[in-house]
Amino acid sequence: MPDGSFSHPQQRQFNPYTENGGTILAIAGKDFSVIAGDTRQSEGYSIQTRYAPKVFRLTDRAVLAVNGFAADGNMFVKKVQQRLEWYRHAHAKDMPLGAIARLIQTMLYGRRFFPYYVYNILGGIEEDGTGAVYSFDPVGSYEREACRAAGAAQSLVQPFLDNQIYFKNQQAPAGQSHPLHLPLSDVLAIVIDSFTSATERHIEVGDGLEIYVVLTKGRPTQDLEGYRGVKELTTRPDGDRVFLIQRELKKD
Amino acid sequence: MFLTRSEYDRGVNTFSPEGRLFQVEYAIEAIKLGSTTIGISTKEGVVLAVEKRVQSPLLEASSIEKIMEIDRHLGCAMSGLIADARTMIDHARVTSQNHAFTYDERIKVESVTQAVCDLALRFGESVHDEDAMMSRPFGVALLIAGVDEKGPQLFHTDPSGTFVRYEAKAVGSGSEAAQSELQDKWHKQMTLKEAHILTLRVLKQVMEEKLDQHNVQLAQVTPDKGFEILDEVRLKALIDDM
Repeated sequence: MPDGSFSHPQQRQFNPYTENGGTILAIAGKDFSVIAGDTRQSEGYSIQTRYAPKVFRLTDRAVLAVNGFAADGNMFVKKVQQRLEWYRHAHAKDMPLGAIARLIQTMLYGRRFFPYYVYNILGGIEEDGTGAVYSFDPVGSYEREACRAAGAAQSLVQPFLDNQIYFKNQQAPAGQSHPLHLPLSDVLAIVIDSFTSATERHIEVGDGLEIYVVLTKGRPTQDLEGYRGVKELTTRPDGDRVFLIQRELKKD
Repeated sequence: MFLTRSEYDRGVNTFSPEGRLFQVEYAIEAIKLGSTTIGISTKEGVVLAVEKRVQSPLLEASSIEKIMEIDRHLGCAMSGLIADARTMIDHARVTSQNHAFTYDERIKVESVTQAVCDLALRFGESVHDEDAMMSRPFGVALLIAGVDEKGPQLFHTDPSGTFVRYEAKAVGSGSEAAQSELQDKWHKQMTLKEAHILTLRVLKQVMEEKLDQHNVQLAQVTPDKGFEILDEVRLKALIDDM
């Protein structure tokens, strides 16, 4: 109409969120925890970058993996790191893993009505020295688990983990039972297989793989010796230790 | 205008030329008028004891409350203006609950003590558009007892907002005599029972009235049971053992 009005209703919308692909996964062992993620960041059919880390060392015993909307994820990690530093100043110690998990819940729920569009997986070592994985939904529901996959290839990887870690649909040999925890070498093999398979079958997964390994205080490190370019990221001696393994994934 | 020294004790946030804050110093003096309060830290837990001044036979002794719970693992005994302590305990309780809510863990004894001390210097004239604060310093000293990952601990706070950790500490009117007695009698291997008896003995020495289960209050914080105020039956048994 000449006066600027319309004869039929119009609707406009702004969508503040994007989905940036990629996959993360974490597995807890008896005295270790493995947290991994690919490094591809994409939007639709375009790759924005082949190296955008999704997994972050928070302390010597906690590693956080963030997947979903990358801008929210990066901001969220920055805010968590800031809270960890404040906690260090106020209480003269690193925040324990269980406390970080609860903090992440309160931070996510604090944005209940404009959420961070991210799925978080927190891995590391508990106060009692056991390996732990905590998984979160975008508004803060969380639970401690033995393993969890999230992100673009969650539907591919989680059933594989259910079978390989929880032994779902597997019959134990007569008179034997399934192990409660797998050794680190087995877990690392499962993580690498998960990501090579996800890379084959999902277009948003690939480019690079970062595997963080957190070992409880005093645990031997020989399981890591077979891997090329293992970097230690531990900041303080005589505590839990963090290692990073970087690998290539297919780039097509 | 020339100001005489005594005029510096009017403003609560004005330093004297010698660099002193008289109102804070007077507040510390106010504690020395309060009833005697004792805390003893041992490996098994921390003991708190206070003298209740029952000024009249018509006064209900059980209504005098000078030891309070901050959280399951934290207790507090006070000497001085008890009403002031309520504000501080309130703050300590909120801080402790908030910590448990946000971090799913018990707050450290030192952290809750720091939180209480942060309140201590919030007196004076408020700056524009800020909420009016307190008009004067707190007139109370606290003994904060608790158990955390570092074990049983005892902290002393005063109106200047300073806090110090002690193995054994006495505050209030009989504190000088009590403190030197504690210095003589406290030792590293002390059991909780020995600490109970010692607090009662020291209180007995400095109290004017005859000590009984009505005019003292005893509490403890232990790793297993947390904070508990001993009831008159247990108190009587301890007094008989003394």
